[in-house]
Amino acid sequence: MNNTASVVIIGGGISGCSIAYNLALKGVKDVIVIEKEYLTSGSTGRCGAGVRMQWGTELNCRLAKYSIEFYEKANEVLQYDGDIEFKQGGYLIVASTEKEDTQFKKNIALQNSLGIPSVYLSPKEAKEIIPHMDETKIISATFCPKDGHLNPFLATQAYADAAVRLGVKFMKYTTVTGIKVENGKVTGVQTNKGFISTPVVVNAAGGQSKLIGGMVDVDIPVYAERHQILVTEPVNPIQNPMFMSFSLNIYCQQTPHGSFIMGRGDANEPRDLRVTSSWHFLEEMAQSCCELLPLLKDLRVVRQWAGLYCMSPDRQPIYGKADQVEGFYMATGYSGHGFMFGPVTGVVMAETILGEKPSLPIDKLGLDRFEKDELLFEPSVV
Amino acid sequence: MLEKTGVATEQDLAKAIPTKERLAKGPVAIIECFQRIPCNPCYTSCKRGAIKEFEDINDTPEINFEICNGCGVCVSNCPGLAIVVVDESYSNEEALVKIPYEFLPLPVEGSFVTGLDREGKPVCRAKVMKVLNTKAMDRTPLITLAVPKELSMTVRFMKHHDIYSDNTFICRCEELTLGELRELIRKGYNTIDEIRRISRAGMGPCQGRTCRQLIMQELAAATGKKMSEMPISTFRPPVKPIKLGTIAGGERGE
Repeated sequence: MNNTASVVIIGGGISGCSIAYNLALKGVKDVIVIEKEYLTSGSTGRCGAGVRMQWGTELNCRLAKYSIEFYEKANEVLQYDGDIEFKQGGYLIVASTEKEDTQFKKNIALQNSLGIPSVYLSPKEAKEIIPHMDETKIISATFCPKDGHLNPFLATQAYADAAVRLGVKFMKYTTVTGIKVENGKVTGVQTNKGFISTPVVVNAAGGQSKLIGGMVDVDIPVYAERHQILVTEPVNPIQNPMFMSFSLNIYCQQTPHGSFIMGRGDANEPRDLRVTSSWHFLEEMAQSCCELLPLLKDLRVVRQWAGLYCMSPDRQPIYGKADQVEGFYMATGYSGHGFMFGPVTGVVMAETILGEKPSLPIDKLGLDRFEKDELLFEPSVV
Repeated sequence: MLEKTGVATEQDLAKAIPTKERLAKGPVAIIECFQRIPCNPCYTSCKRGAIKEFEDINDTPEINFEICNGCGVCVSNCPGLAIVVVDESYSNEEALVKIPYEFLPLPVEGSFVTGLDREGKPVCRAKVMKVLNTKAMDRTPLITLAVPKELSMTVRFMKHHDIYSDNTFICRCEELTLGELRELIRKGYNTIDEIRRISRAGMGPCQGRTCRQLIMQELAAATGKKMSEMPISTFRPPVKPIKLGTIAGGERGE
């Protein structure tokens, strides 16, 4: 194995691979990505893989817009020999409470001001977009045709393949057991396959990122929360956009492959890094789905699984360096939208590590915002 | 060279092969036994007395082709599987070659197999004319193959056609072929979880009931690892596909 690196990235999900690719693209040599299992084995490979520009804060809108515009051209830019299966069927986000409806009107104004082509719809107009939905359960909806879905395994692989061509080394099935710090500076990473000296470590470990922070005594105020998803058998295309509701607690989309993927949040989910499945989820998910999208009741569920949301106090990512330890960087705390932010994560993290001015103003997303109590609460999260 | 390669030389064979005239008359045993070992069941099993009595049990057999009628009893009695019966009178184009075959599965009469030469190289397509497997043969069945006449002195064994090809489906739900699977393994996806995620194999309605084992076998063959030492993929609920409406409580069984 290589025993020296200029940058070691911990985590082989979309964030780690995107950061590695962007560093190598900027000419950084000897970048190593360490992955405990295989690429996408953590949250990336378990996510719903929807991507949307419809957010409630300016920064999230901009981060998402940047990423989606990258995904639109990712096959070409990354010179991928496969297809990341990006389908822009839009997101139809429905409101079922007055409070939500008011928020959506604000969101649309914000989104439109940033060039996001979202529109406000009546229940009847919403039903034209998803005819099999029960429009009597909603007050209004918003729709953005640029939102969509892509294959998280292939998108990550596209980044990884491009990174490998630029000289990045990937160490799969390798576990980080410690990070060496001398005189307040990172000097290396200890793994179960040996020690790697490096001045820079990037924590892109998703649900495990708090553990990684603990290795250098940096307290990252995140926790891993289990979220569950199910997938049905594939059928002919009947639903173009993602159907989503924050108040009714559901997201449900048909992938280009034909299967329906749906999930929901639950405040009672365990926070102990468990990724087991529960019957409870299956029952509640099926009930929500049958109530709101009754046509889907005859679809068979073939599989359910779980992944970890890495929740931050304000449901926003944590980007940047740790002030206490020189050379320790974080890209974590996505609170369920790390996959869709993958492209922008790679760009802004590579810029930050190289001391350049980030393309987007991520200075507000640093770890120090929690000490200063300058949280940027995101209202629109499932 | 027989001692080194296990393959009879032309000089060896010259002594063992009957004349063209005898071959044209009908079935005859050809004993390709060239090493002196203490062994004589060919002689003891031949009821016609075509195989000469051994003076020394280490002698190699001597056969009188004019007495031999190609009955084949010696073929299944030879522990060394060194005897075949060749019948060049079968037809103008084809000859019959009767071989001992101790592998399972036995070929099916009427099916086609691959004819192999003495080195085990495939040389022709051969039709299985007869499969004889009586108790007296003591688990050395005789397979009669129809082969091109010019190969009657070449074909000495058979193998089944390869059951799999690159186009064989490994995952029937998601339509992953063996060729595609091998390409993924070649690219470095060397655990079943990686293959599942990149190809969707095993992710369909049957949840890998067929392909899980097949992918594992292929991975084991490619990596040289034992299947028992390889990580297996996760079994996820609900195991059997269930309708959303049923889970939601809208439908009940008896």
